[in-house]
Amino acid sequence: MTARISRRTLLRGLGVTVSLPWLEAMGPLTAWAADGTPSKNPAPNRMVFLYVPNGMNMADWTPKAEGPDFELPHILQPLKDVRDDILVLTGLTADKARAHGDGGGDHARALAAFLTGCQPRKTDGTDIRAGISVDQVAAARLADRTRLPSLELGCEHGAMAGNCDSGYSCVYSSTMSWRSATQPLPKEVNPKIVFERLFASTPDGERLQRDARRKSILDFVREDSLSLNARLGANDRRKLDEYFSAVRDVELRIERAEKLPPIQAPDYKVPAGIPASYEEHIRITYDLIVLALQADVTRVITCVLANEGSNKPYPFIGVPEGHHDLSHHENNPKKKEKIRDINTFHTRQLAYLLGKLKSTREGDGSLLDHCMVVYGSGNSDGNAHNHDDLPILLAGRGCGTIKTGRHLRYPKETPLNNLWLAMLDRMDVKIAALGDSTGTLTGLSG
Amino acid sequence: MPVRQLILVIVTTLVLARSYPSVGDTGTSPAGTEPTFATEGSGFLQKHCLSCHSGDKAKADLRLDKYRDEAAVIKDRKTWQRVLDVLQSGEMPPPSKPRPGLAEVENFTKLIGLIFKQHDESTKPDPGRVTMRRLNRNEYNYTIRDLVGIDFNPAEDFPSDDVGHGFDNIGDVLTLPPVLLERYLAAAESIMDRAITPNPPRPPNRGVATQYTEPAGPNVPMKGNFRVVSGRAGGTPIETGPIFTRYQVPADGEYIAHTQVYVETSGSKPVKVALLAGCSPTCPLAAKDAEADTIAGAAAKGLRPFVILKTFEVKARNESAAEHLQAAIPAGIGPDKVAVALVKPEDGEPAPTLYVKFLSLEGPLDTRPASHRRLLACDPNKPEAERTREVLGRFASRAYRRPVTAEELDRLVALAESRRQAGEKWEAAIQFAMTAVLVSPKFLFRVELDDRPDSPDPHPLDEYQLASRLSYFLWSSMPDQELFDLAANKQLTPNLDSQVKRMLRDPKAAALVEHFVMQWLQLQRLSTAQPDPKLFPEFNEPLRAAMLRETKLFFTEIIREDRSILDILAGNFSYLNAPLARLYGIADTAGNKIASNPKDRKPGGKPFKPDEFSRVDMTGTGRGGILTQASFLTVTSNPTRTSPVKRGRWVLEQLLGTPPPPPPPNVPELEENGKPLTSGSLRARMEEHRKNPACASCHAKMDPLGFGLENFNAIGAYRSKDGEFPIDASGELPGGLKFSGPEQLRQVLLTKKDQFARCLAEKMLTYALGRGLEYYDRRAIDRIVADLAAADYRFSALVTGIVKSDPFRLRRGRTP
Repeated sequence: MTARISRRTLLRGLGVTVSLPWLEAMGPLTAWAADGTPSKNPAPNRMVFLYVPNGMNMADWTPKAEGPDFELPHILQPLKDVRDDILVLTGLTADKARAHGDGGGDHARALAAFLTGCQPRKTDGTDIRAGISVDQVAAARLADRTRLPSLELGCEHGAMAGNCDSGYSCVYSSTMSWRSATQPLPKEVNPKIVFERLFASTPDGERLQRDARRKSILDFVREDSLSLNARLGANDRRKLDEYFSAVRDVELRIERAEKLPPIQAPDYKVPAGIPASYEEHIRITYDLIVLALQADVTRVITCVLANEGSNKPYPFIGVPEGHHDLSHHENNPKKKEKIRDINTFHTRQLAYLLGKLKSTREGDGSLLDHCMVVYGSGNSDGNAHNHDDLPILLAGRGCGTIKTGRHLRYPKETPLNNLWLAMLDRMDVKIAALGDSTGTLTGLSG
Repeated sequence: MPVRQLILVIVTTLVLARSYPSVGDTGTSPAGTEPTFATEGSGFLQKHCLSCHSGDKAKADLRLDKYRDEAAVIKDRKTWQRVLDVLQSGEMPPPSKPRPGLAEVENFTKLIGLIFKQHDESTKPDPGRVTMRRLNRNEYNYTIRDLVGIDFNPAEDFPSDDVGHGFDNIGDVLTLPPVLLERYLAAAESIMDRAITPNPPRPPNRGVATQYTEPAGPNVPMKGNFRVVSGRAGGTPIETGPIFTRYQVPADGEYIAHTQVYVETSGSKPVKVALLAGCSPTCPLAAKDAEADTIAGAAAKGLRPFVILKTFEVKARNESAAEHLQAAIPAGIGPDKVAVALVKPEDGEPAPTLYVKFLSLEGPLDTRPASHRRLLACDPNKPEAERTREVLGRFASRAYRRPVTAEELDRLVALAESRRQAGEKWEAAIQFAMTAVLVSPKFLFRVELDDRPDSPDPHPLDEYQLASRLSYFLWSSMPDQELFDLAANKQLTPNLDSQVKRMLRDPKAAALVEHFVMQWLQLQRLSTAQPDPKLFPEFNEPLRAAMLRETKLFFTEIIREDRSILDILAGNFSYLNAPLARLYGIADTAGNKIASNPKDRKPGGKPFKPDEFSRVDMTGTGRGGILTQASFLTVTSNPTRTSPVKRGRWVLEQLLGTPPPPPPPNVPELEENGKPLTSGSLRARMEEHRKNPACASCHAKMDPLGFGLENFNAIGAYRSKDGEFPIDASGELPGGLKFSGPEQLRQVLLTKKDQFARCLAEKMLTYALGRGLEYYDRRAIDRIVADLAAADYRFSALVTGIVKSDPFRLRRGRTP
C-alpha cells in the first residue's frame, strides 16, 4: 500500500503553491480512478456547462482555418496547452434568444434560451416560463447514480431587484438551469456552501442518524399538511405542491445516500466564503468542479461565471468600465480591445480548469478525457446582440466519443440544441428532441 | 403655465405604466362624440396591423382581426397591453412598413385606454388574491428571532430569494427548490440545538488560588499554599481581609461559593468564618450596618455592599484537616465578588488566624439557555402528557401565527411521544417536535387558510391573518403578543390606526427601511457598485457604508417622526458623518459649506466625527432629498462616469412610476459620418444620440432629468466641470418645461407630488401584499392617494391607507 500524503503537506514541502498533479498523492477517490483496467470499471462521462455573458469579441475568438490545423486567435491563446483537447464550434445559433416579437431583452433571453432552446416568456413577475434545460434532462436520468443529480454554480450573485432586462425577470439572466419550464434552479455562488454540499463534514454514523431523523420529520410534515389543500386557493395549492415535491426530492436524496458508497472528502481547505477577488472566486469554484467530478459526487454541473448583462468592471486587468456598458462598443476599437481583454481573462481561467482536469489521472487517461466541458455565450457580438454564430467551445474527449483538436464550422442557423442532443447521446440519455433542436449535431466524433 | 403644461404632457405621453396596467387619465371625450372600437379602432388596425396580424398565418400568432368590438378587447387585456406597448415604443409597425403619425397612435391608445377604464369603473370591486408567501431570508431570520428568542442569522446559507415586481417578498415568485428545503432542515436543527439543551453541561466552576486574591499587594502573607488572614485588630487590609476575588456573571442565575480553610486560635470558643458575596447597592439581601459590623478585617468596609451567605464554625486546626465550606447564592444577586472572612470574636476571646487555600464560584447552576427555559416553561408538577401539550401548543400557535388546532396538536404530541418511547429525554423529544414545526409549510409559508377558497366573492381575512399581514409588512416578522391578543379578541380591525402608529414607532419598523425602501429605490446595488479607483480614489468601504447609512437614517426620521412623504424629494435635513460630509463639502453639523466664508456661517456647528452620524440642516448646501444623496447618485452611475440616462430613468421609474419602455431591438450603432462619437462632453454626445428619432421620444423624457443632476459626479461629489467641459445642468422636458440644476429639478418634481404619491403607494402596496398590482387595484390606489393628500402626505397616512384598503383586508377565490 502506498503511503498517502496530504496535499497540504506536499505544498508545504515544496514551499510553493503551484498546481500539482491534482490530488493524486491522496489516492483514488473512485473505483475507476484506482482501476488500471478500464474495461472492468470504465469511467463515466460527465458534462459541464460554463457560461460567460455579453458575447465575445468574435474577431479575436473565431479561428481562421477549419479542421485540425487552426491557429488559436488572441482570446483562445491561453488555451495553448490544451489545444488538442478542445473543439471550437462555429456557426451554432440560439434562435429562441431572438426577439420574435418580444422586443428588447436580448441578455435575459440569451441565458434563458442557452440550455433550453425555448423562448422565455417576457415577464418580470409571477409567470416565468422557459423550458427544461439539457443539464436537467441528464440529471433526471442519471439521478440515481450519484449523490447529487446536478450542481448549479455561479460567480456573481443573481436576482437583483427590479426587472433585470427590458421587462424580463432577473431569474432569466442569472441562472441557466431549468428543472422544468417553470422551475429555474438557483445557482450557488458561495464556495463554502458548495463545499459543504459536496463534502458534508458530518461523519457517516452521525449522518445516518441525522438522515433518519430528517426522514421522520419529513414524514410528519407531509402527513400534517395534507389537509391544508382543501382550504387553499389554486395558486396556494401550486406552492404547496412545490413544497411536497421538494420533500420527495430530499427523501430520495437521503435514500440514495444510504445506498451509495461513502464520499471521500478530499484534503482541500474548506473555502471561507466568497473571496473578494473575482479571479480567486472563479478559481476556487473551478477547484470545486474538479473535486466534485473526481469524487463522483455529481456528473452534471452548470456554472454562470457572471450574470448575462453583467456590468461588472474588471479593474484588475485594466478595465474599470462595466462589462455590459463596454459590450455596447459601437465599433470603437478601444472598447473592443477591452472586451477582448475581458474575454481573454475568462479563457485564462478556463485554461486553469482544463489544466486541472487534464492533470487529474483517471483510469487509463485523464479526468478531462471523461468530460464534455462546454464554454460559451448565448450572445455573439455584444453590440449587435445577435444570437447566431455563437462562441462555443467543447473541451474533453467525452470518454473517447469526441475527436478534439479541431475547429468545426457548421451551416448557418444550426441550432445550438443539436449540440445538446449530441452530448446527451454521449451520456447514454437518448431523447428525440430538446427545445428547438432539429437533430443531433454531427461531426464531433471526427 | 409651464408646470401645468408639463403635467399634461406626462399624463398624455405616459399613458400606460408597464408593471401596473392602469389606464391613466385619458380624459373624457365630449358627450355624444365618443369614438367606438368598431369605427376608429378597427380602422387603425386595418390600416396598420392586419396585413401581418390576421388569419391563420398571423405573425407572432397574434390575430388582431378577431377583435371586432369592445367586449372582445376587454377579454384579452394582456394582449392589448402588449399591443399598446409596442405601438408606443415605435417597435411596431416594423420599419419596413409605413409608420402611423404620432397623433394617430395617441388617439388609438386613448381609445383602447378608455375602453378599459370604462369597463373597470363599471365592474364590481375586486380585492384580488395573494398567493401564500414563503418567508424570505430576512423574514425567516426575524421570525426566528421573535419566535425562539435567538438572533444568529440562521438564513445566512439560504439561496437568495427570487425577485418579482421589484421586491423579494412576492408570493408567486418565491420558489422552494429542494436545496432550500435541505437548508430549512439544517437551519431548524441548528436553531433547536441552540435553543434547547436536553443535556445541559455541568455548571462552570471558576476558582482562584488565594495567592492571587484581593486585597492584593507585593507581599501577600502565605503559609504554604494557604493565605494567612489575621484576626488581630488594627492590621492592614492585606493582613486582615476579608480576602476576595471578583466575578462578572449574569444576575439571574443561582451560584455556589466554595472555599477551603483551617484556623488557629489560642481561645476556647469555636472560630467563626463567613462566606460573603459582593452585590449591587440595590441588592435586598445586602447586610445592614449592624450585621456587616460582625465581619472582621480592615477590608470589610470597602467590600460593602455584601451578602453574608453563611457562617461556619471551623474546627480544623491544620492543613491536612482543612475543611471545605460552601454556601448557596440565590438568584437575583449576581455576585460580583466572593469573599471569605473571620467573624469578629466574642469580647475577651483572642484573635484567631484563618488559613485559606482557594475561593471559587460555581454556576450559574442552571446552564440551560434562556430560550430553553422560556420555550419549555410549564408547571413541573403537572403530568408529563399535559406538559407536552402545553409546551408544544404554545410553540406551534406562535409558529403558525394562529391557534393550533386540536388535531394538529395531537399529531405533534404523538411525534414527541414517539421519541420518548425511543428512549429520549422529554426535553429532546420536545426539541424534535419543535424542529418539525420549523420545517412545516405552516411555518415556512404565510398560509392564509380560507373556508371559501373558490368563492369569487370578496371576503375578509380573519384577524390572525390580518395580524400577520400587518406585522410582516411593517416588521418583516411575526406578530407580537399585543397583535395576537387583539386578534384573539377580534379587536384588531377596529384598532388598525393605533396599531399602525404603535408598530411604526417600534424599533422593528427598521425593517421597513431596510427592506422596502432599499428595494424600492434599488439601493442594495450600492453594495456591489465599483467606482473606478483611479478616478475616484476617495471612494472606499467606509464611504460606501456611510452613503447607505445616510439614506437609511433619512428615511428612519421620516417614518419615526411621521413626516411628509414629500420630504423624500425635498427634505432639507440629512445625517452625515465625517467622510460623507467631506464628500459633500460640508464643514460642520450646522450645515456650513467648507467653501463658505467663516464670518457668514450659521452658528452652533460642531466638527463631524468619523463614526458618528449627526443630523444636519441642509438648507443652503445645495442638497436635500434623495436626489442629492450619494447613495442614489452612485448607484445610477457607471464605474467611470455619470449616466444621465440611468438617473433619469430611475426618476421616471422609481419616483414617478412611469418607466420608459425598453429600447427597441437592434438600436443602430451610434456613429456619425462613419466615425464613432468619442469626443466632446458626455452631454454633447448624448444630444447627438437623441437626433436619432428611434431614440428621441424616450430619451427626451429621461435625459433632461439626468442632466439636471450632472453637477454631481459618479460618486455624488459636487463638480462644476466634467473633465475640461463646464457642466451644463439645464434641461428641458417634453412640453417645453425648462429648469436648471438640482434645486429647480426638485421644484419640478414637487409639482408632480400626486404622481409621486401614486408611485410610492403602488410600490408600497405591492410590497405589503406580496403580489403585482392589477388593473382592479386602481380603485384602492386612488383612494389611498386621495386620503394621503388629505392628510398632508404624512407617512403614517400612507401606511394606514394601505392597511385599510380592500386588497389588504379582503380576498376572493377564483377570478370573478
